Amino acid sequence: MPPEAILSVRGLSKRFDGLLALEGIDFDVARGEIFGILGPNGAGKTTLFACLVGALAPSAGTVRFRGERIDGLPNYEVVARGLVRTHQIVRPFREMTVTQNVAIGAHFGSRGRGRGAPEERVAELLRRTGLSHRAGALAGTLTIGELKRLEIARALATEPAVICLDEVMGGLNPSEIQGAMELIRWVREEGVTVLMIEHHVHAVVGVSDRILMLDFGRKIAEGLPATVVNDPAVVAAYLGDVAVPGGRA
Amino acid sequence: MTGLRARLRPSVTVAAAGLLLLLAPRVFGRGILNDIWSVAFAVVLASSWNLLGGLAGQVSIGYSAFLGIGAYTTALLALRGMQPYATLPLAALLGAAFSFVVGLPTFRLRGPYFTIATIGVGEAVRVFAGGVAFTGGSSGIRMPPGSFDFGLNYASMVVLAVAVVTLAAWLRGSAFGAALAAIRQDIDAAEALGINATRYKVAVHALSAGLVAAAGSLFAINFQYISPGSVFDFRLSLSIVLMPILGGVGTVAGPVWGAIFFSYLQIKMLSVPALRDSYLFLYGTLLILIMLFEPKGLLGLWERLPRALRRPPKEASAA
Repeated sequence: MPPEAILSVRGLSKRFDGLLALEGIDFDVARGEIFGILGPNGAGKTTLFACLVGALAPSAGTVRFRGERIDGLPNYEVVARGLVRTHQIVRPFREMTVTQNVAIGAHFGSRGRGRGAPEERVAELLRRTGLSHRAGALAGTLTIGELKRLEIARALATEPAVICLDEVMGGLNPSEIQGAMELIRWVREEGVTVLMIEHHVHAVVGVSDRILMLDFGRKIAEGLPATVVNDPAVVAAYLGDVAVPGGRA
Repeated sequence: MTGLRARLRPSVTVAAAGLLLLLAPRVFGRGILNDIWSVAFAVVLASSWNLLGGLAGQVSIGYSAFLGIGAYTTALLALRGMQPYATLPLAALLGAAFSFVVGLPTFRLRGPYFTIATIGVGEAVRVFAGGVAFTGGSSGIRMPPGSFDFGLNYASMVVLAVAVVTLAAWLRGSAFGAALAAIRQDIDAAEALGINATRYKVAVHALSAGLVAAAGSLFAINFQYISPGSVFDFRLSLSIVLMPILGGVGTVAGPVWGAIFFSYLQIKMLSVPALRDSYLFLYGTLLILIMLFEPKGLLGLWERLPRALRRPPKEASAA
């Protein structure tokens, strides 16, 4: 494991009965990196995030976070150590206000890592995610774009060292995507390492330092964005060339 | 400081109500005081259940187990010479401890496992209490003579009811209450933000079970005789669920209104011989009506009232 890696994944597999959703995934993420994860539907991207944070238990393999093994830990323990994810299908606390939603993350997830007074930090996160004007609204009344940003604000409130963003640009219009990319860069400037799953290839390529490509639960490419998107196996996977699932493998 | 005042107001209302009820023995006769005792008892059960069932959304249909454990603890210890009221803390502790038996194995699971387990455990405890010798078996046990003091019991039940409602109001606004609300609304999202859901559920279950056991303790002292059929009754478990749902589940005032309404109905029904055995029918009907027309219960109806009064009937205004 390289000394600068904050997250190190080795041989990670996840089996659901007969289906092998992830098969022997290896990768390292460096501190301060924006690490994009691409792949067609059903490639195993969200399952990968669920295994990283402990929402699902991996069937095999190890996950090291800041040098410490975290695979097998429950989700709340992983969050306490500083690794958090957002949900692709948003999961707000609908009967709470936007502020209360974010305060849950600040209060229970941060374990004293909070930067400044919790109320001020919550207000700052709402401002950064463009939700200040909705602070007192019930989360159930938000639009999908606002709910995606609420997922980010809530996860950031746990003061993570690494945040896993699961399709936060899904369903957004081009100007909202621009805003989301700026938000992600700001998150990195805050000192948070970013893993991001995204369908929107241009957005990922535009913002990521490196990219991991998954297909049918396996890693088919990893490297600089320009290299990965021109990889024949990646092109084949995205064009749906079923003759070579997994490409060169 | 309007926020603080808004948070204090319910406590002030409850304290004032409690004070009035404590002065009631100077005005009212024993019959009315008995009814007030019953209502206060119901308020304790409903509000305690609501801590777990309403705030955390974990529905238990086995709360008579805790009531019975409290009642039996007090009766058995009093028979061995302990001062009955001194057994209250122990009864509460035993009730809380027993809550782990149901909660620890089932709270880790997602889905209705907890609710199903509570039915089984509630019935198992009743059968156990009726089958072993030290509880006096199915014929029950009588408290030692001279352990009865209505005035003290009345005051204790009123104080307990005020304490439980105040605790519920405070808990609902606390960080602990926020964690419970998060668990109720989306348990996976709660854990994804650092909340150890199992621990919070186990903790609030124990708290609520302990309070119900304390009420059971006062129940034993008040009625002087307990049996598995009276304190471990499944119908009792059902009515504990029904009261908060009737009043408005998850709120502070809802279980109180539910308890008042339900106790009144039950007192009325028990006085009519023809209706005495039809309370299961009543429970079912009430539950269906609430689910169909007003899931927020009596509080929901109350909120509707001003709107209904303000809006004149269409036919009338047209005519």
